[in-house]
Amino acid sequence: MDYTNNYTTTSHGAQAGLSTGGGFLPGSQTADSPSTTNKRSYGKDTLRPVTLRQLIDAHHPHPDAEYFLIDGSEATQVTFVGQVRNISTQTTNVTYKLDDGTGTMEVKVWIDAEAFGQNEGEEEGGGGKASKVVVEQGYARVWGRLKAFNNKRHVGANIIRPIRDYNEIQYHLLEATAVHLHFARGPVELLEQAKGGAGGGGGAHSNGGGAGGAAPAPGQLPPGTSLSARKVYQAIRNTPQSNEGLHVQQIATAGGLEMTEVLRGGEELTNLGVIFTTVDEHTWALLEIEG
Amino acid sequence: MSAEATPRINAPYLSQFSHRTVRLLGKVRQLRGELATVDAGGDVVVHLNRDAHLQLNHAVEIIGKVQNDLSVRVMACSDLGPEGDIDFAAVDAVVDATHRYHEIFYEKEQ
Repeated sequence: MDYTNNYTTTSHGAQAGLSTGGGFLPGSQTADSPSTTNKRSYGKDTLRPVTLRQLIDAHHPHPDAEYFLIDGSEATQVTFVGQVRNISTQTTNVTYKLDDGTGTMEVKVWIDAEAFGQNEGEEEGGGGKASKVVVEQGYARVWGRLKAFNNKRHVGANIIRPIRDYNEIQYHLLEATAVHLHFARGPVELLEQAKGGAGGGGGAHSNGGGAGGAAPAPGQLPPGTSLSARKVYQAIRNTPQSNEGLHVQQIATAGGLEMTEVLRGGEELTNLGVIFTTVDEHTWALLEIEG
Repeated sequence: MSAEATPRINAPYLSQFSHRTVRLLGKVRQLRGELATVDAGGDVVVHLNRDAHLQLNHAVEIIGKVQNDLSVRVMACSDLGPEGDIDFAAVDAVVDATHRYHEIFYEKEQ
């Protein structure tokens, strides 16, 4: 079971997701005016490693939306590895059918009229260039964007290239799992802090079960606490403050969070009895005895 | 959707997946005509089809159906090169993740 810890070392994608992807959470759309969701900048784009099953299951907020939600987090660009089951060349694009063992998905690569001549040359040249060509039954990696057209999903790909080192298949599936867990359960660092406070797995269980209404021990949040609540908790914990606590604005700045996320996380922490309001309802302090 | 998924398993998972189509990544140990033995966390007897070309000591990925006797009938297979080129610790990690976090890999039968 050693390798479970190694997941942290492959968290490049996860980090990218954290810094740029946190902005738009499902709850924030109801709070904001609809027009803000239409004006989307490419600055918010993330590149997420996924399994095809995640793309099939991804939630499409509304039929015209340009993005999908995976684990409640916005996904725009995605990357995956799969086996090519079929290649069909159309006049305007090449459609590949990919199977990664979790599902199948059509991948369309638009034919660039200018680059077309070069591709032809490559195929005819064969030999040395052959390893660059995607073949049926071979494995390939795709970078692209999930799209829905006539209720059918496909990926509009920027790049598709064959896999040469088959370890990349395993690497990709583990990376996709790590990123999935990052969004579904929270960043590894926060989970480890939570675990450390409980003094091991067994301790966490007995604490969690018997707690009832009691506030958890310092540095520990009960299992099931949402990611935003954990971030707010960390922000309050790590920021120097008077006994009046911190204003939501300061928490948002300290944690690098959206205001809606802070308010949502704060409400959850209040209900858990972890924080309380001080001078006004937007100033919060941790409810814990400093040891 | 679930019919299209081929969960990645190894030898210890065979009994849980009888009559299902699975993916098995292992090392080719023996070739005996229509039969082969593949080491995927334990020996697995594999019934080959005519298109299957296995090579001894190569890594192979098999898509096949698990039979009653826990042998696997091959539907498709891909040679992944000499077994030394594949990190089998990562392969085992993938199988473990597939079943531990199956929500992103396959639909569990109830």
